[in-house]
Amino acid sequence: MEQDIAALQTQGTLPTNQKRIRKGNRRKGRTLFIVCILAIPILNWLVFWLYVNISSIFLAFQEIDPWTGTQQWSMGNFKKLWEQITGDGDLLLSIKNTGLYFLSGLLITMPLSLFISYFLSKKIFGYQFYRVVFYLPCIITPVILTSLYDQMLAPTGPLAKIFDKISLSYPLNGPLYKKDSVMPTVMIIIYTILTGFGGDMLIFSGAMSRIPTEVYESAKLDGCGPIREVFTIVMPLIWSTISTKIVLLMSGIFAASGPIMLLVTENYNTTTVAFWIYNIVQKGLDVNLVATAGLCFTLIIIPIIFGVRAVMDKFGNVEY
Amino acid sequence: MEKSFKLKFMKKESGALYKRTAGEKVVYVIVFLLFALYTFIMAFPFIWLLCNSLKSNYNYQEDYEKFRLLALPFEWRPQNYIDAFRELEYEGTNLFGMIFNSVWYTAVVVIEGVFFSACTGYCLSKYDFKLRGTIYFIAIFSMTIPIVGSLPASFKLSGDLRILNTPLQPILSCAGGFGFNFLIMYAFYKNMPWSYAEAVFIDGGNDFKAFFKVMLPMAKAPMITLSIISAISCWNDYTSILLFMRSYPTLAAGLYKVKSNIQLGEEPVYYAALLLAMLPVLIVFSIFSEQIMKNMSVGGLKG
Repeated sequence: MEQDIAALQTQGTLPTNQKRIRKGNRRKGRTLFIVCILAIPILNWLVFWLYVNISSIFLAFQEIDPWTGTQQWSMGNFKKLWEQITGDGDLLLSIKNTGLYFLSGLLITMPLSLFISYFLSKKIFGYQFYRVVFYLPCIITPVILTSLYDQMLAPTGPLAKIFDKISLSYPLNGPLYKKDSVMPTVMIIIYTILTGFGGDMLIFSGAMSRIPTEVYESAKLDGCGPIREVFTIVMPLIWSTISTKIVLLMSGIFAASGPIMLLVTENYNTTTVAFWIYNIVQKGLDVNLVATAGLCFTLIIIPIIFGVRAVMDKFGNVEY
Repeated sequence: MEKSFKLKFMKKESGALYKRTAGEKVVYVIVFLLFALYTFIMAFPFIWLLCNSLKSNYNYQEDYEKFRLLALPFEWRPQNYIDAFRELEYEGTNLFGMIFNSVWYTAVVVIEGVFFSACTGYCLSKYDFKLRGTIYFIAIFSMTIPIVGSLPASFKLSGDLRILNTPLQPILSCAGGFGFNFLIMYAFYKNMPWSYAEAVFIDGGNDFKAFFKVMLPMAKAPMITLSIISAISCWNDYTSILLFMRSYPTLAAGLYKVKSNIQLGEEPVYYAALLLAMLPVLIVFSIFSEQIMKNMSVGGLKG
């Protein structure tokens, strides 16, 4: 053996072999590392994303046989879904309310965040303090915030007392519990607006803070006023952030909702698609119908997202 | 003289009203007042909560009827904060239990979520292997395509795996390495030079050593920021707890359930509990607020 090694050494082949062996070992070690590191996340994805979504699709094409209690293949859920949407059921109402939440997010919360971010980026007096104040509702649990909001709006709460003092009529059970009215939904939307712009504000102010001050200065020298500054400088320069935010809003259109469960334990016409799904699953009701609705909504939203993304990209992003 | 003039000038220059027209100054003042109004609207309920959490039930009722919104207690009762721990419970779990559940639930979700994202981000950005493109596609695809209504299937799966209503539910379901955290960690490692790992290999170390001893500690900054953001959202989560872990109520879920059992006039103890629930998040936020505020930007976090 020793003689063989000595012979190899004289031929000068051992270092090459050693290199090859070492390289092979390194490759094996690397493969082992990749497998070990990625095994759990991939297994998790296979089980909790892929399997869940495939079984969700299967659920959409199944119905529970009332006699045997087992799942049977059927297209009945689609018929049921259509009846729910065209009828007077909760689903139609939930779609309408979801639309209201989405529109309030797109047309009120987002512009409001942009407005606030602009003035914060201009270092309005106390901007550091306000930045924290505006972000606080994002970190405090909605359970607390809704409890407070509920107390403020209750018929025995401060707002009712103020209405009473100035001789204005106040809903008997408070605006959150007004039956057969859009008032409870409006009140929840107001809550989501009041507490919802903190996250966007941080993102937009981050984007605005990256705009070079020289751009503002030269615009000012050219006689550019603040409104023109917003529309011709700020908006185009942070367009990539705005368009990402709009696409994200579109992606979550069917998840748009408010803390309905926390604010109105009874429904009061406030249900949304997200709450409708959650409620059915929690109560163990018709989960097949939920899966069918989910499948249809996903199929509707995917082309819309790609369309919106294409439109947003058309406006172009500015590099600076 | 010159120095003081310079300082004065610089201070003015950095101010929001520097070189503004009269109209612009008016706009800034109005906006400032609107911000102040919002601050008052947000602060009022919390001051109200603090005042009422220190009142006796009788004091609370009395003030309520007489419209003394922010009146200081005439019967001080800091005991409410102790009673909150003694009296409030849901499904046999008192406030201590809820805090314990919140702590371990948050720890599991945050540690797993951030650690596995760092693993996938590192592997996909630094190693060239056959399935790399496919796995990256999966990661992006899962994020881009919004799957609606998969909650029943998730719930069914948890039932089938017999992890529903057990601590195993978050342990198993949160061990994913994709999503928002992945994007951040991927971008971070993509920009990190490979030479750090090569130095470990020259010293005779292997890939595990390079990752755990060098590359993972170097990602401390984005990992801390991601952890804080995840921790706040986990601490405040109540919907998934009420669905998947009903017997392990966290503070958020427990307080929501407790609220429905509060009798009229017993609110001060509940208000004390609400303030106690808020404290940990506020403490964490006040310590790390600068880090969160500075590091956040759309599509990425700075390291």
